Amino acid sequence: MAPLLELKDFHYYYGNIHSVKGINLYVNEGEMVTLIGANGAGKTTTMQTISGLTSPKGIRGEIWFDGKKISGMKGHKISAMGLAHVLEGRHVFSKLTVEENLNMGAFMRKDSKNIKSDMDGVYKRFPRLLERKTQLAGTLSGGEQQMLAIGRALMARPKMILLDEPSLGLSPLITKEVFAAIREINREDGITIFFVEQNSKIALKTAHRGYVMQTGEMVIEDTCENLMSNADVQKAYLGGE
Amino acid sequence: MKSKTLDSKKLIALIVGAVVLLALPLVLPNYALLILSFWEIYIIAVSGLDLVFGYCGQISLGHAAFYAIGAYGSGMLHEYLGIPVFFTMIIAAFISAGVGALIAYPSSKLVFHFLSLASQAFGEIVYLLVSHSPGKITGNYQGFFSDYINLFGFELDTYTSFYYFGLVCVLVFLVIKTFMVKSKTGRAFTAIRENSHAADGMGINVRKYKVIAFTVSAFYTAYAGAMYLHLTKFINPDTFVLKQSVMFLTMLLFGGSGCLLGPVLGSFVVLLVNEVLRALQDYQMFVYGVLLLIVVVAMPGGLYGEVMRLVNFIKGKATKKAEVK
Repeated sequence: MAPLLELKDFHYYYGNIHSVKGINLYVNEGEMVTLIGANGAGKTTTMQTISGLTSPKGIRGEIWFDGKKISGMKGHKISAMGLAHVLEGRHVFSKLTVEENLNMGAFMRKDSKNIKSDMDGVYKRFPRLLERKTQLAGTLSGGEQQMLAIGRALMARPKMILLDEPSLGLSPLITKEVFAAIREINREDGITIFFVEQNSKIALKTAHRGYVMQTGEMVIEDTCENLMSNADVQKAYLGGE
Repeated sequence: MKSKTLDSKKLIALIVGAVVLLALPLVLPNYALLILSFWEIYIIAVSGLDLVFGYCGQISLGHAAFYAIGAYGSGMLHEYLGIPVFFTMIIAAFISAGVGALIAYPSSKLVFHFLSLASQAFGEIVYLLVSHSPGKITGNYQGFFSDYINLFGFELDTYTSFYYFGLVCVLVFLVIKTFMVKSKTGRAFTAIRENSHAADGMGINVRKYKVIAFTVSAFYTAYAGAMYLHLTKFINPDTFVLKQSVMFLTMLLFGGSGCLLGPVLGSFVVLLVNEVLRALQDYQMFVYGVLLLIVVVAMPGGLYGEVMRLVNFIKGKATKKAEVK
């Protein structure tokens, strides 16, 4: 079976700057995979290109999702195919209420009668959102906004969710809570997850497999268990000796 | 029970409002009716601008151009092709909608001040076209004369009849706006206004919905322009300068954008201010500037926002009193 998401010899150029230098990557259905690396490694570029948010001019190589080539496609078409993305820095609709935000997530769906029950599902997963149902999203705390962004992505009933830096700006405690929810979404709802994370420790604890990027190149690829015991990874990303 | 009494209260207010609006021509002098007719025209024009600016978040400083296309379009279709006036208004509005779509497609990539400059440039182009038209088909600076609206043989040649006609138009346009805003399209507009990247992530085709917003908006404003021509029977290019676009924007922002009643309130107040300060016509832009400053500094929700705050405040006090008792 072909993987759900696959990058084949993927390069990205910002003008003359070669920022991603030919990486290969795949995510199987049902898997949870992480991409870690230091600042400027090209993680976010990779993520945003998968979502169709970068200019297609800079793309070399191919990106495949669900049996279709998506490299160069428009972002809204990619999300309509069932690849939801939670952007770095959350991007909730701050002047809309929590409920309106969630409703917006179901924009492309035509089965309006199931939307209500899906929303209840999101509230069950994130009880804090239920408490803040009628509150404007902009008034939520960072962690709550991240939960809302994830909940909103779930409302689209996606096949796969991409998360860019889910821990950005969150306290360690909230980060744990958010990652616990991500793990549940993968395990219980069977949604494939691919995420980029600076906090390598929690990323490797959460995911099944991991990729390590360094200045635009893929340096290591392994299961998270192996990565955690890998001496190089420990030294560079986990603060070990 | 509570909601039921509220509903009946609303119903009574609606009936009273309708009766007052219908009875006004019986008591008001002709001059006041003319002002009210202008009010109706501005409500439609500004509601159109609200769709694109208030809901979709795309600024336009070129709406006078759509206003011009409606007015000149309707006038010329009647003058040169002999189409009865009411139909020319609708055709002109459709033409304007087409132009709106054409303009919106390339400019949908622009944001904020870039978009305002592009729309302003569009306004200037249309102004130059109607003031220096080939073969003087628009009458250039001498202006353009036209007829009253003819509704199936019935000529709207009094301010009273125009007022009633305008009332129906306003009702129709506001109802369409309400439905549009509540539809999927309206939700897409709001998403784009709030965060176009996130809207993209929801599967919303941002460009498509921006074009839709401009198209519908151009239709509204052009129809209002056509109404204007057939009320005054005369137009000249001076009506369709940047000042007019700024006036629409002032009406919208002062009244409150992104709601149904904001344009209604805003156009009324700005119209009144204009009438009262007629002697200061040269300083109109200054007056708009002051009104906009008031909005920016003191009432970000516009007049409608302030009214709602007051209403909520009174309601809150009433419930507090009830709790105390």
